Amino acid sequence: MQHTLEFKKITKYFPGVKALDGVSFQAHSGEVLAFLGENGAGKSTLLKTLNGDYQPDEGEYLVDGKPAHFRNPHEAIEAGISVIYQERQILMELSVAENIYLGRMPTKGIMIDTHKANESAQRIIEDFGLPIRATDKVKDLSIAYQQMVEIMKAYSRDNLKVICFDEPTASLSDAEIDSLFRIITKLKSEGKIIIYVSHRMSEIKTIADKVAIFKDGRYVDTVDARTTPEADMIRMMVGRDLGDIYEKLDRNTDPKTEVLLEARHISSDYVDDVSFTLHKGEVLGFSGLVGAGRTETMRAIIGADKMTGGEVLLEGKPIHNRSPYHAMKNGIVLVPEDRKMQGILANLDITDNINISLLDKHSNALGILNRKAEQETAAKGIRDFRIKTPSADKKIVELSGGNQQKCIVARWMATEPKVLILDEPTKGIDVGAKAEFYQMICDFAKQGLGVILISSELPEVIGLSDRIIVMRGREITGEVMREDATEDRLLSLGMMEKTKKENKA
Amino acid sequence: MSEKKKLSGIISGDKLILIGAIVVVYIVFTLLNRNFFSWTNFVNVLVASHLVGLVAIGHTYLIIAGQNDLSPGSVAAFSGVLAALLVSWGLNFWLALIVTILAGVVVGLFNSWMVNSIKLEAFIATLVTQSVIRGFAYIICDGKPIAISDSTFLWIGKIRFLDIPLFVWITILCYVAFGFVLAKTKFGRGVYAIGGNKDAARLAGLNPKRIVLICYIVMGIFCALGGTLFAARMNSGQPAANVNLEFDAITAVILGGVSFSGGVGGMTGTVLGVFLIQAFNSGLTMVNIPTFWQYVARGGLLLFALTSDFIRRRNRERSLLEASKKNA
Repeated sequence: MQHTLEFKKITKYFPGVKALDGVSFQAHSGEVLAFLGENGAGKSTLLKTLNGDYQPDEGEYLVDGKPAHFRNPHEAIEAGISVIYQERQILMELSVAENIYLGRMPTKGIMIDTHKANESAQRIIEDFGLPIRATDKVKDLSIAYQQMVEIMKAYSRDNLKVICFDEPTASLSDAEIDSLFRIITKLKSEGKIIIYVSHRMSEIKTIADKVAIFKDGRYVDTVDARTTPEADMIRMMVGRDLGDIYEKLDRNTDPKTEVLLEARHISSDYVDDVSFTLHKGEVLGFSGLVGAGRTETMRAIIGADKMTGGEVLLEGKPIHNRSPYHAMKNGIVLVPEDRKMQGILANLDITDNINISLLDKHSNALGILNRKAEQETAAKGIRDFRIKTPSADKKIVELSGGNQQKCIVARWMATEPKVLILDEPTKGIDVGAKAEFYQMICDFAKQGLGVILISSELPEVIGLSDRIIVMRGREITGEVMREDATEDRLLSLGMMEKTKKENKA
Repeated sequence: MSEKKKLSGIISGDKLILIGAIVVVYIVFTLLNRNFFSWTNFVNVLVASHLVGLVAIGHTYLIIAGQNDLSPGSVAAFSGVLAALLVSWGLNFWLALIVTILAGVVVGLFNSWMVNSIKLEAFIATLVTQSVIRGFAYIICDGKPIAISDSTFLWIGKIRFLDIPLFVWITILCYVAFGFVLAKTKFGRGVYAIGGNKDAARLAGLNPKRIVLICYIVMGIFCALGGTLFAARMNSGQPAANVNLEFDAITAVILGGVSFSGGVGGMTGTVLGVFLIQAFNSGLTMVNIPTFWQYVARGGLLLFALTSDFIRRRNRERSLLEASKKNA
């Protein structure tokens, strides 16, 4: 049977962002359509909008030409649309068959017919060519087979039309990926519509027929997966020639040789023996994969996590930050990665958010706050960092992501720090605001601050940093000067150590 | 401009609804019983409010900070018994009051220790305290109420200014002071910040554990002070007293606009909430609603408070969404 799935002008808002902006395109039976885009481009949001997890604010989707509307994922599944998420949606204590037929077990009279369920489940398992039994408890299976159980659960419905995979290979081995691809090919040959979300270009090239590219919540285009060069796809998904932005920056051309911050053999529960120096007026990049220990190193330095070994020297003097408060008093501040969970105070207004780290400065001996001084600081922050807001007493969550981030930067700059640590400062921020942030970072360096920039975007960390430290698996694996920095070099440093370690083991 | 905005902020929106609710309560109960609308009954409502009122100050701080406390009823009863007991042993009233307040501080330390150090949920942790302290209230007096004969102690419960008892004036004074601290000081701002987002507040240089500790100590002090004043009013310390005190206080605070999710609300709302709930309770008694049904009615009032909290939260989220649509 042939199916079509059409998205028509889907728009979805979250506080502070337009997550999807008029997304329209079609997917057809018998093809694997990959979704490609940066983090925050809207891929997962689109899947959740399709399966009823979220409701679109505008637009609709058509299944086989008919408008469909699902109030929750259950209705979507009933209608033949399943999403396989990275997190398992199955019940670990039940058997494979019980999971596949959850909520619709065959019955004999008022009794559940386990025998029949096992039989039909076993048939699907054999169909899929898997070495598991219908009676196995799911918790005893490997992650790959647990995922297969989810796929079989979707497959066992006669009316399955659309099956979506959200980063399905994130925790699979190469052999497991092969068997997943075999299943996907089988589903494809049976005329299902397959949507495949992944960051891995090589996988997309292998399994996908077409690639739908997203950028900043917008649909860009659909291209042929095999004939379109990788570089073209990346350009479409990044949507700008990054080289330009960085070349136009007014950088600090003369970082001092004077050491500002020195970390010696820092260890915590999350990092081992990390040492580095930061100079005055320097932008020091930290590159590496997510979870390499970059954020954790900084958290140990500012006292957010407990340091179990090593020492920190600021301007040659040893300091000990027992908490972020002490770090701030010493002049070391961190703009955290997760703006929503660790940055903003969603219940307070812009003035309060900018001044929250200045409560000591703005209060008298009795602890009474000087609102006027607070308002002046907020006004200065709004002016200096060009925060776009009608007034300073708006709630911070009413601002766009980029402007929220500027408020957090304004908060910390108002404490007049010596060292500014920025953890993925441009994550989820639109391109225009990104360029503004880049110049801001250069300006901080010119003012003589030491700036530490943690970034997973390679062009960003190469384009901005004077020097780049690469981390992998809790430790530093290399240091590259700006002149020698290439994406390949950083990537190999970011991954190399792992292979070495594996060889050792 | 901003002054005008602030003024309208105090009486607009949620507060207006509360004042409206108080007016409705007054009209309904006055229709049912003419005596409801009288100065005497107004003073009676204030008298009945003093203990709930003090405890509600503590709850305002705690719930805004993202905490809670189910122990005040027990702690207040324990405090009344302890003060009465100490005085009956011949201790000077003022010294007895100080010892009782110190006991309240210890309870606050214990509650914050459970929440801060062994990371228990405030609801469950303070349930422990509720039971333990109720137990001690019975243990120290062997289950029997302790009559008060000390003249200072009795005088405290009797003396009035402008027809309003001293203990009511104390409550009013506490509202003014602690309302000011919450709205205008560094500490108050910290309470809002940690209630909104504890992790972000800590990374911004605040000390959430210390703020939580102080909030529980403040609550302990209010329970001790309120319980002692209550004993003075009743002429005895009673171990079985003040059951469900926290229930009324939490209802009042939520009615007043403090959100169960933390970070939102203020002292003006709590004043109105306390008055509303006490007027409501006194009305139920004056129109002879049986005690058993009063429990049902109070549950209904709490449900109403929680529902309005939910609606307020949803409206806030919606208006934020609208605002960000405009920005995007």
